[in-house]
Amino acid sequence: MSRFFRGGDDSSTESSSDEEELYSGSEEEEEEKKDQDVDDSSSDDDEPEAAADSGSDSDGDAKKKGVNRFLADADSDSSSGDDSDNETQAKVKSAKDKRFDELEATVTAIQNGQKINDWGSISNELDKLNRQVIKQIDGGKAPKLYIKCIADLEDFMNETLAKQKVTPKKMNATNARGLNVVKQRIKKNNKDFQAQIDAYRKDSDDFMESDEEEVPAPKVAKVRFQDLTAEQGQDDDEGFATVGKGGRTLLFTPESIFKHLRTIMESRGKKNTDRLEQIKIMEKLYEVAVTPYQKIRVLMTLVSARFDLGSGAATSMPLEHWKAAEKELATLLRVLETEKDHIVIENAEEWDDDEKPPTLEDGAKYIRIPGSVVSYIERLDDELTRSLQSIDPHTSEYIERLTDEGSLYNIIFQGLLYYEMLRKDASLEVPQESLNRIIQRRLDHVYFKPSQVVKILEENCWKEVPSNVDSEITPRDPSHDAGHLLNVLCNYLFENSDGIIRARAMLCQIYFLALHDQYYQARDMMLTSHLQENIANFDITTQILYNRTLVQVGLCAFRKGLVYDAQNTLQEICGSGRQKELLAQGVMIQRFNQVSPEQERLEKQRQLPFHMHINLELLECVYLTCSMLLEIPLLAQTGSSPDVKKRVISKTYRRMLEYHERQIFTGPPENTRDHVMQASKALAAGEWKKATTFVHSIKIWELMPNTEDIKTMLAKQIQEEGLRTYLFTYAPFYDTLSIASLSTMFELDTRKVSAVVSKMISHEELAAALDQVTETVIFRKGVELSRLQSLALTLSDKASALIETNERTLEHRTQGSANAFNRKDGRGGNRGGGQRGGRGGARTGGNPQRQAGGTQFTGGALGAAVRG
Amino acid sequence: MASTAPPSTNGDTSSVADYDLMLKLAPHLDRHMIFPLLEFGTSQLVDEETGDIKDEKKLRDITQAKYSLLKKTNMTDYVANLYCELEGLKEPPSEFADRKQKVFSQLEKYEQETSKITELLQRDDVVNALRSDKVANLEFLKREHEVTVEMVDALYDFGNLQYSCGNYGDASDLLYRFRVLSTDDQKVASATWGRLACEILSMNWESAMEEVQKVRESIDSRLANNALAQLEHRTSLIHWALFPLFNFPAAREPLLELLFNPNFINTIQANCAWILRYLTVAVITGRGRSKNQGIQQKQMKDIVRIVKQESYEYQDPVTRFVHALCIDFDFEEAQNQLVLAEEVLRRDFFLLQSADDFVDSARHLIFESYCKIHARITLKDLSARLGLNKDDAEKWIVNLIRDTRLDAKIDYQEGTVVMNHPPSSVYQQVIERTKGGFFRTQVLSAAVAK
Repeated sequence: MSRFFRGGDDSSTESSSDEEELYSGSEEEEEEKKDQDVDDSSSDDDEPEAAADSGSDSDGDAKKKGVNRFLADADSDSSSGDDSDNETQAKVKSAKDKRFDELEATVTAIQNGQKINDWGSISNELDKLNRQVIKQIDGGKAPKLYIKCIADLEDFMNETLAKQKVTPKKMNATNARGLNVVKQRIKKNNKDFQAQIDAYRKDSDDFMESDEEEVPAPKVAKVRFQDLTAEQGQDDDEGFATVGKGGRTLLFTPESIFKHLRTIMESRGKKNTDRLEQIKIMEKLYEVAVTPYQKIRVLMTLVSARFDLGSGAATSMPLEHWKAAEKELATLLRVLETEKDHIVIENAEEWDDDEKPPTLEDGAKYIRIPGSVVSYIERLDDELTRSLQSIDPHTSEYIERLTDEGSLYNIIFQGLLYYEMLRKDASLEVPQESLNRIIQRRLDHVYFKPSQVVKILEENCWKEVPSNVDSEITPRDPSHDAGHLLNVLCNYLFENSDGIIRARAMLCQIYFLALHDQYYQARDMMLTSHLQENIANFDITTQILYNRTLVQVGLCAFRKGLVYDAQNTLQEICGSGRQKELLAQGVMIQRFNQVSPEQERLEKQRQLPFHMHINLELLECVYLTCSMLLEIPLLAQTGSSPDVKKRVISKTYRRMLEYHERQIFTGPPENTRDHVMQASKALAAGEWKKATTFVHSIKIWELMPNTEDIKTMLAKQIQEEGLRTYLFTYAPFYDTLSIASLSTMFELDTRKVSAVVSKMISHEELAAALDQVTETVIFRKGVELSRLQSLALTLSDKASALIETNERTLEHRTQGSANAFNRKDGRGGNRGGGQRGGRGGARTGGNPQRQAGGTQFTGGALGAAVRG
Repeated sequence: MASTAPPSTNGDTSSVADYDLMLKLAPHLDRHMIFPLLEFGTSQLVDEETGDIKDEKKLRDITQAKYSLLKKTNMTDYVANLYCELEGLKEPPSEFADRKQKVFSQLEKYEQETSKITELLQRDDVVNALRSDKVANLEFLKREHEVTVEMVDALYDFGNLQYSCGNYGDASDLLYRFRVLSTDDQKVASATWGRLACEILSMNWESAMEEVQKVRESIDSRLANNALAQLEHRTSLIHWALFPLFNFPAAREPLLELLFNPNFINTIQANCAWILRYLTVAVITGRGRSKNQGIQQKQMKDIVRIVKQESYEYQDPVTRFVHALCIDFDFEEAQNQLVLAEEVLRRDFFLLQSADDFVDSARHLIFESYCKIHARITLKDLSARLGLNKDDAEKWIVNLIRDTRLDAKIDYQEGTVVMNHPPSSVYQQVIERTKGGFFRTQVLSAAVAK
């Protein structure tokens, strides 16, 4: 329907004749627009068109009364006089008429209410009427019928009120309430349509009559429109510009810029503001802006207005507007760069005088313009993320959209330069926070990328700025070394910020280090940051970042071949079974508890765009493989003695293994999980070669850099763990085993085999001794415990555990003042210094439980948040 | 101070020279303390038999280092000599004489300023009137003897100057007096450090140990809310403590206890992993000497754990030995590293004296874990492992079997040592585990009753 208008407006060149009146009436119109659009979100699709046509439509005149849009359009079209298109007209009419009929019905209801003085029903109907009319308002023109109705109603109301005063008889409660409501509504509402109402009052007949000639209008519009639809997508503005050129441009003089801006600014945020229209106006304004001050002001307002387009809850701003906003921001920054005496800062005073722009006062160095560049940049960034969230990542559209990140990065960088420049002048009192925010943004775009990509980004953004400009914080570096850049950015934030930004900087750096295989640094930073202790106090996005970092550190450990550490680190995230949510890479279907739409919406907003995802399948694969390497020997070790069976490293893995074993027929492995499970089975049976083949045939390893190295590493680990498993499983059946035969069996050299065996003997995992003369392992017999004996051992363990718990409880109660319980100095170390404790070989130790305390990453932040 | 750290690599075998820690130690030591290390460097260059100097250039480097090290101190005579040596002059230039004069005049000035207070403190009646309350003491002295705060501070400055001149004993006394009287926390802490340095340099180990404790306490209390300063101060203390650790046998146990304190272990791990070498040597050589076997074992375990944790950050033959022996159970590698480690030890200022001890203890260690794992060992192989010839090895093992309660026999005919591993009895295990229960419960109930 509104498309219709759009067409109409294109064709209605004659409307320019009314141009002069437009601006006299424009003030009013803005006002009108505000309140009409009560239901903001519903206007989403017809908004652009509505915006487009409002120009021509409103140009008409305030006196014109549109019964509905259909009619309203007519006058503009009548002159183009193309009557041929009857069937379109019919089609169009029907939809319109329906609404119009509805409107009419409501109006009648109100009139009936008036007759019987039933204010309760009048108020209801009025609400209904207002709702209906919203849909039919076009460009601030309400249907004439509506105007008539409300005008009459107002009169009637005033009458009633007057009567009320004189008659002693009270109205009943509902009626009185209804009257009051109507009074307020009308007061509020009628203001918006004052012009039309006045027109109506002045000459009601004439006002209503004007419909008649408008009737034949819409046909042309339709035709024109159809031609135009195709173009519209690409050059919306062009279509508009033609109109503008005719008459409008005359109106945009440099002098009037501020006036326009003020109008626009005032209407900002109000309902039913036609933003697109404003944007068009501002684009024009920018063309005519001459002084830097004008340019800056226009650009700033323009960018804000563009951002307002995307302010709907879930929708991102339209692509072309994003691009335009990006360009305008770039222009803004460039203008600011060249015009050094103009600055945009947050704490500047508003300039109220529209007539004359502020001038450089004596002694003042700058013309200060209120605004926040950093907020614009942040918003631009957020909008890109939003749009990436909503695009299907497997389309080329996504890739195209992603290329915009480069230009965004440039903007961020230029913004950074700008703020650095501002910071140089201490008198400006630019808050440190702004600089931190912008650096954080830059970091956010860099930290998860491989260094080559960062290098390209950097190269491009340095190309954009003139060669004489240099950044203080991140000096020009011809090598564009990503690691160095990260370091500089993070260090800056460490020094100059606190709280969340600092924590985030830390996490970003750890993430980057882990991504680039610097495991030890990453781990040390992770431990020294003490974030695992207080991550739960941070906001959810930071918790997500923490989880991502944790996972990345785990993956890094895996690449280094540190299976134990990798498993340990990944445990919290992968063992939870909620990887998707914890990493914000997908919404899990909640089976048990219902999530409110609000929560769901929030969760959707948090989702990371696809290009930032960590491959979940790879993650699972790594986690399962690590679990396998740890669990299988453990299973073999505890297989014989029932009392120690409780020790479980990974519940998830155990569950899968059990499930796998329950299957009656096992086919060839299909997915990653199957591969790992079959490998586990083979490994448990001592067939390490088979296990290696299974693990190697997992496709997803290809995603890791240096696939071959990883495979070799895995093969080596499998060999060793295979040997251990073999010894655990088959030791009871042998008296002696020759080292040489073990060595051939597992294709390890004898030295390695004896080292492994020695280790096992030394840690008392294996009741055996080496015979150096014959090069054999001698298994001791008779070390198996009877049931009673093993139970006695368990009991003694439990008893000492009990004492320990008691002591700890008391210590906790007395807040550690009772030094008598300083049982374990080593523990104390973990508690006290924290950062280094407990890493390394807990596997070898006799203590099967994972120690609580600050020894490991207590990951899985967000748990509570997700559970809601 | 870091600038004064000289390139004093002293070995001609580069592989060993790589493990020289001079450069790492120097920043954490006082310049006066670096001096003995440099001296040691010089002595290494001198061929023991002929007395010839092996590397002229190195020697010159070291002398240069000494000069730049001491230039800023007030030991003018010595500095002048060094300068002459460097420049090949006979007579030191006059500037040195000037400086000497200046120093002397300064000394005199302070002498006068502090004479009164020194005198007072030597009088019995005054000393007896002093109480433990410093503020009251100062009040008392002010009232009775007209002592001012400036005079007390002069003690501090004088002590500083004396130290700078190399008169450690006098400096120590002065600082002691200052500490008794002063109420300025900051300066008292510095005085404590100064006194520790004096005691170390004048080799009064016992009082040095007292000062170590004092410094430690002041770090814990005074800097409690400045983690970075704590870290730095602890690092320095650890380095300074190396002097008593390896020169004063009685200091070994308390110092090891100090170093194994979680705070200090963390400091070592975070800031100065190379200390691990000294720690390892101290623990290994300490085996069997200590009365308390339990602590010994615990420390050994800790060392193994830390060596493993830090292996990515710091490695030298000593830590690699521990790694090979206790983590990888690679005896061959352990043996190789032991040979290297001995070499390293002989070139280390602190460890020179412990080298033999270390090798001996390390052999014990190897043998112990070897026996634990093996049931039968050939003598020949074992002697190779221990780095001894066959007869010596036999004697060594016999002694070992006799001294310790090792359950082993030598089968001479076959040339083997046969170990007898009694399986650990379940009953024993249960008894072990429940042993402390009663005591602990008692303590617990006592604590609850409180």
